[in-house]
Amino acid sequence: MTPERYQRLGQLFGAALELAPDQRPAFLDQVCGRAAGDDEGLRAAVEKLLASHLASETFLGRSAIDVAAALFAQNQASLLGQTVSHYQILSLLGAGGMGEVYLAEDTQLKRRVALKILHAELTNQREPLQRFEQEARAASALNHPNILTIYEIGETNGLQFIATEYVGGETLRDRLQSAPLPISETLDITMQVVAALEAAHQAGFVHRDVKPENVIVRQDGLAKLVDFGIAKLTERRLEDLEAEGATRTLIKTSPGTVLGTVAYMPPEQVRGQTVDARTDEWSLGAMLYEMLTGRLPFTGNTVNDTIAAILKTEPEPPTSFNSEIPAELERIVLKTLRKNPEERYQHSKSLLIDLRDLKEDLDFGAKLKRTRTQDNVEVLLASEQATGAQLPQMNAPNLIHTTSSAEYFVSEIKQHRRGVLLVLTILLLTIGAAYLGYYRYFRAASGSPIDSIAVVPFVNQSGDAAVEYLQDGLTDSLIISLSRLPQLRVMARSTVFRYKGREIDPQTVGRELGVRTVLTGRILQRGDTLLVSAELVNVADGTQLWGEQYSRPTADLLAVQQQIVREISSHLQFRLSGAQQRQLNKGGTSDNEAYRLYLSARYSWNKRTADDINRSIEQFQQAIDRDPNYALAYVGLADCYLVQGTYAGTPTTEVMPKAEAALEQALRLDETISEAHATKGFVHIYSLEWDQAEKEFQRAIALNPNYATAHHWYSEYFRIRRRFSEQAREIKRAQELDPLSPSMGANLGRAYLNLGDTDAAIRECKRALELNPKFSLAHHFLGLTYVEQHRYDEAIAEFQQAVDSSKRADLFVAGLGVGYAAAGRRAEALTMIRELEEKYSKKEATGFDLALVYAALANDDEAIAWLEKDFAGHNMSGLIYVASTIIHPRLRNDPRYQDLLQRMHLKL
Amino acid sequence: MQSATPPNITQLLIAWNQGDQDALEQLTPLVYRELHRLAHRYLAGERQGHMLQTTALVNEAFVRLIDWQGVEWQDRAHFFGVSAILMRHILVQFARERQAAKREGLHVSLSAAAGIGTQHDPDLVALDDALITLEKLDPRQARIVELRFFGGLSLEEAAEVVRVSVSTVRRDWRMAQAWLHQQLNAAT
Repeated sequence: MTPERYQRLGQLFGAALELAPDQRPAFLDQVCGRAAGDDEGLRAAVEKLLASHLASETFLGRSAIDVAAALFAQNQASLLGQTVSHYQILSLLGAGGMGEVYLAEDTQLKRRVALKILHAELTNQREPLQRFEQEARAASALNHPNILTIYEIGETNGLQFIATEYVGGETLRDRLQSAPLPISETLDITMQVVAALEAAHQAGFVHRDVKPENVIVRQDGLAKLVDFGIAKLTERRLEDLEAEGATRTLIKTSPGTVLGTVAYMPPEQVRGQTVDARTDEWSLGAMLYEMLTGRLPFTGNTVNDTIAAILKTEPEPPTSFNSEIPAELERIVLKTLRKNPEERYQHSKSLLIDLRDLKEDLDFGAKLKRTRTQDNVEVLLASEQATGAQLPQMNAPNLIHTTSSAEYFVSEIKQHRRGVLLVLTILLLTIGAAYLGYYRYFRAASGSPIDSIAVVPFVNQSGDAAVEYLQDGLTDSLIISLSRLPQLRVMARSTVFRYKGREIDPQTVGRELGVRTVLTGRILQRGDTLLVSAELVNVADGTQLWGEQYSRPTADLLAVQQQIVREISSHLQFRLSGAQQRQLNKGGTSDNEAYRLYLSARYSWNKRTADDINRSIEQFQQAIDRDPNYALAYVGLADCYLVQGTYAGTPTTEVMPKAEAALEQALRLDETISEAHATKGFVHIYSLEWDQAEKEFQRAIALNPNYATAHHWYSEYFRIRRRFSEQAREIKRAQELDPLSPSMGANLGRAYLNLGDTDAAIRECKRALELNPKFSLAHHFLGLTYVEQHRYDEAIAEFQQAVDSSKRADLFVAGLGVGYAAAGRRAEALTMIRELEEKYSKKEATGFDLALVYAALANDDEAIAWLEKDFAGHNMSGLIYVASTIIHPRLRNDPRYQDLLQRMHLKL
Repeated sequence: MQSATPPNITQLLIAWNQGDQDALEQLTPLVYRELHRLAHRYLAGERQGHMLQTTALVNEAFVRLIDWQGVEWQDRAHFFGVSAILMRHILVQFARERQAAKREGLHVSLSAAAGIGTQHDPDLVALDDALITLEKLDPRQARIVELRFFGGLSLEEAAEVVRVSVSTVRRDWRMAQAWLHQQLNAAT
């Protein structure tokens, strides 16, 4: 065909199309008839074109890139069911610019992983690939519960892949689309992401792509930041991120549909300038803004407009879209979104601290809202009327101050005496609604309330070892007393005592422990006189908030303590009523020696070995001998008996009556000590009285939310009842209160193991072992986790260490037996059984221990028989875990096992 | 942690248009990424049966690739024109590689991917060949197909690029569409 002929063809085709179909033959007759030569050919060609036109209306209707994408999608779909390396691909989870993410099963370790397969086109480029690997490997070293763990980076048949832990959950994007997030949940998620960023920034990484698509939120609220390291596959510039597909926030515009992750980029990133930790902070701020308001802080109809907004305009205050947003939160969000990085938070840690403070204020406010009763209002009003127009004095004994915020209102009002009564009435009646205003005013008036403190062991300046008990005693009693203050988070003893004898910088310690204030002091004994100096340091700026020196007779140690506590508490902005003042000294003793014995006993108890527990029992008993009204010492005694079952294998039937008797005595002396109720909760557990147990733990926590052991045992309760998310929640709280306790760490690991997150379990157990390399329980849990991962050699090594450092305690011998059995080393497992049987005969092992090993050896008959033996003898210390420590998955279906669970009122 | 200066896509496009093959190497991954993004939408079942949203796709692919901080495209038409050529080049190359891979049996049969794409999608390689023929017969029509199909332009935008009326573009498009359809069907 020639161009001329094509043109002629086109003219006729076009003209014919203008006509109604029934007129076209006549038209063609006419035009083709006039021409000479190839008329018939031309006519046929036009008719063919007309026919083609009819069929081609949708032809080329989809753009080429769409067509190509469909081709590509076919390829991707074809990966399903295939095996890449040792990963069998199960389903597609999502896709982005760098590749697709599949759910896969690791056929070797039999665990589910998320498998990210990189686009072949990208893997052909050597340089980005190397950079990617380098970065991903480095990021894989980041070890943080809120950062997705990378298992493997590999290549097979030209496919480059990364296997990571699989977090069953949805992205924050999905979450945001399904329903608006409550503020508390928003804060929870945000704080976790900030914690992840903080860890990354510490390690020198910048994520560069923080956005809702890169945050996975699990059912239990755990949030993980993903795509670490991948951020640097190519130098992540604006356009790269923009091309990230599944990740865009599509905003319908005309003429095109544009916009994407640019919305989360700060000015410096949009400009292609240097990015650093503060870049991530902005992105986080934009994400937080969106979580709070349902919209992005900077938007535009086009990318250009959005960028212009990012560069030039100030975001609308979040409260203009959601009036429930607290002012402090608005301040935080807007601070993260400052154009100039210098004006943002300079460290993610500071941001985290502000968020955490806010969260605690909110929780406090919510509690206030819930618990504020009409009674209190009436008390205040009544006293108001009684004194005429006079305001009640702050320390008037008849005034019950239940909250610091109520105090605050009162003190505010004091400054404006006119119309006070009216204002007071309105304020108190609307107090529930007013709690938001609380921190606006509160913060404006007096800066941030102090809500956390670490009491660092006082330095013994006399160098006299005999004074050492005073040193520990003062510190410890300050901790105990302060922890009874409402809304004050006090670092637990085992955490702060790590600083004992070290020359410390209060600011450094404060930052390490994440508290706002640090209390330090010195003690000097001169003859019968005791010189105590104490100072309270504000961690934020190192300033002294309060400082005092006391010179007293040595015998007055307790009086000094109480005075320090009172003075500190007033500086912590808690004004206490007489009742609360009394609360500070609850369960205590006025006998110095009894107190010293108590502290020493607690210390031994915390070590949890059979010998230490025996020593602890002796010391508690001696404390009681000195002061028979010392309630806490009785609780301590009960605690010792309780854990003997677990750590010494003593039958429950032997220890329980003793524990119950001691506890009863404690409660008779003081019914309102948290410790006693926590212990009572555990007693109920041993009696299989689940509901009562839960009530006691709740009571214990209500009485003193800072009692770490109450949270720890409450988590055990949840573990036993297979409520693993709650188990994790409580043990996390316990760990927050007592971050340096290996026991909390190991149990957190156990919680993760129960949740199926073996990597997190390993991480936490290892952390616990960093705190105390000989902590048997951590070795034991680590061993169990390795068994779960089929890493038997490592499991056996851990079990062995648990056995060695516990002097062969029964539970750990059983663990080793399980390890041998799992590894197929039957003879050695049987040796463990013999050892346990011998221990059992000496009442140093439980039937549960034996059942564990027998079940691992597939001897179900023996396993069941031993469990029944425990049940019949009411020997509960191991048996209570029968549902949560699945002795062997096979047993789940064994009717005898099911029957036992039923009798224990447990279920799977 | 520092990110290099973003490549100036404007300059890359111009450089490539002037024969700089290095520029193409830098542009290709960007287009591929867009491709993967769309592919994901297919896999997620989001794009079934969707008709081309004229400018949307290519705007998405390119509008966000241009150098925001640099000079605005003074000549929109020029930008669209060059983008369309680039897309054609890259996408046809892509399709060619897929076909080769399929011939070598590297990928699983299409039955695994049933339901993705449509039966009516043109074979990009055959279309490219037909377009080369069309360029000889009617360069303007070939250009309009390039702009519309590869560049994703609307009739109006194509008219702006080619500097003819919209009705002329509509006529040219109709003719080219019918002719190319016929060519491709004859070939198979």
